[in-house]
Amino acid sequence: MQLQIALRDLLVGILTLTVVSCELPPRQKAATPEGTILTTVENDQIRPDEEYVMVTTAISMPMYVNHDQAAFKRWGQKMGVKTAILGPSEWDVPAQIETIEQVIASRPAGLLINGTDPGIAQAINKAVAAGIPTVVYDSDVPNSKRHAFLGTDWYQIGLMQGEEMVRLTGGQGKIAYMGILGLTNMEAGFQGLLDVLKKYPKMQVVGKYDDKANVELAAKITSDVLAAHPDLAGICGFDSNSGPGIALAVKEAGKAGKVKITTVDWEPEHLQLVKDGVIQMLAGQKRELFTWYGAQFLFDMVHRTNRLSSNDAASGITNVPTTINTGLLRITKENVDQFLKK
Amino acid sequence: MRKLFQDRVTSLSITILLICLLASLIFPKNFPTFENLSQVLLNLSIDTIVAVGMMLLLIAGMFDLSVGSVVAFSGGLAANLMFFHQVPVPVAILAGLLSAILIGWVNGYLIAYQGVNPMIQTLAMLGIVRGGALLVAGANIQNLPYWFNAIGQARLLGIQMPVWYMLLTVAVFSVLVNRTVFFRRYYYIGGNEKAAELSGILVKRMKLYAFVLSATLAGIAGILLASRLGAAMSTLGRGLELRVITAVILGGASLQGGVGKIPGALLGALFMGLVANIMIIARISGLWQDIILGIILIAAVWLDLYLQKQSRGNSKI
Repeated sequence: MQLQIALRDLLVGILTLTVVSCELPPRQKAATPEGTILTTVENDQIRPDEEYVMVTTAISMPMYVNHDQAAFKRWGQKMGVKTAILGPSEWDVPAQIETIEQVIASRPAGLLINGTDPGIAQAINKAVAAGIPTVVYDSDVPNSKRHAFLGTDWYQIGLMQGEEMVRLTGGQGKIAYMGILGLTNMEAGFQGLLDVLKKYPKMQVVGKYDDKANVELAAKITSDVLAAHPDLAGICGFDSNSGPGIALAVKEAGKAGKVKITTVDWEPEHLQLVKDGVIQMLAGQKRELFTWYGAQFLFDMVHRTNRLSSNDAASGITNVPTTINTGLLRITKENVDQFLKK
Repeated sequence: MRKLFQDRVTSLSITILLICLLASLIFPKNFPTFENLSQVLLNLSIDTIVAVGMMLLLIAGMFDLSVGSVVAFSGGLAANLMFFHQVPVPVAILAGLLSAILIGWVNGYLIAYQGVNPMIQTLAMLGIVRGGALLVAGANIQNLPYWFNAIGQARLLGIQMPVWYMLLTVAVFSVLVNRTVFFRRYYYIGGNEKAAELSGILVKRMKLYAFVLSATLAGIAGILLASRLGAAMSTLGRGLELRVITAVILGGASLQGGVGKIPGALLGALFMGLVANIMIIARISGLWQDIILGIILIAAVWLDLYLQKQSRGNSKI
């Protein structure tokens, strides 16, 4: 009985304290960085502690390591500033958000954030509110207050694959596609593909599959789809591991070249598969440009390289381009050698 | 001194204090700040709420691998109902929590009454519920109602609400487990299930309740996480089950059951959160974080075994 009374008193006390001193979050305003005062330096001199931090997820993914991270490190060396790359080893968006929030507390000169999910908007807004120049790359987080975005339009990736598949199949036959389901950028890509295919009534979509960015799973799904649909005309892949997985199963089924494959990314493995005629087209992103110019944008914000007014921050102006589409690469058997010799 | 270190809650508390002291000396500008430490607490709040339920299960000699998926599903379902069907915020939250309770009940019923192995059952449920989360959250849901977001984003004394909910959960369950006969029974079940049954404890029913409680806490965590982020994602809570089990074992639970204290769940999560935070401040790559945390876990379990052996040796003498 005494315990019950103590518990009740505890709960009532906490509830009262909560109601009395609770501070509600601000109402959502328009997603612009207007009015935020950036942490800038007065001259072009680089501070000894000037550090730019990239926060991503799945930090060990070869595509990220070979392109995004390599370009960011090269940029840091060229500019003579410190760079750090942080984030969880697995694809874990909440862990990426936690990393961003913890990095804010250590006040880096600029933050370069992989726009993995619209859910990271709040963390981006916290960085902007703290006066840290913040650039998003890869996929945009349009509901955030990021200062700038550089990357690819994923809907265009879907359109590109759809148009190529129509060309390869003559606009008829069964098609399957796969990627990581539930990710905003991939879903936009899927939509682009479907928007092309719906104009061709003789093309039939037999399935949308989740390969969880896993080569083995992509191969297993492909072999199952091929068993169920021996007359399958083509498969489209949307994550870095879709292509190698699809290609493996198509080769094992002895249908290389017969079942058309289009996919994303251009790691050496992908390029070799194009050269071998197993994959017909790669929709490649210019990932090096995301982080090289993203970091340069941060630097230019910090150092106020281009001043558009007497006080850009007070005028609500970001002195770098706010949205950059870095464009796509179309890699086929005709031009693959140029990329292999890079 | 040895006795002091044989109690995991005490030894972990001392270790955490030492870590904080060391980090404050090495990173005086970045570590011992209110902003940084409140952020650390915020980041571990969701894990800790789930860890309290997991601690209860481990005390009873069981565990639940589906909690991460339940986090994603409960938050996703509530968001789906609010965003697509304009269901009022309290009703949507209730629906999210009820779905978690139902999942816990199914797990508990099949394990306790039908004898399904807990690992197989909860592993299967992990997959089913993750698929369900994908269905309800789709390509993620943003722009949730203001009052829903306020639950996780409001502040009390400058600290975000999930931290207070976490402390409340730990406090309430600590009192319940320490002071009530009902919850003390889980120690008997975990210590010796057969003996517990013979002494009149309704073991099957207690097991069912434990799974329902654990899933309910995961449901609350899912609602809080969606509210804190202002978004529901199908990928929420991925890998959470292993993080939570690690925290709980660090906090003094044993996979054999029968031991563990609720504050240990908080301390285990706090220890992991601090180590992760210091690695971020020190700019150590995420690649190393898993390795370092893994080594710490092995070291903690080894130390535990060593001290237990010592203790047994002393008692024989």
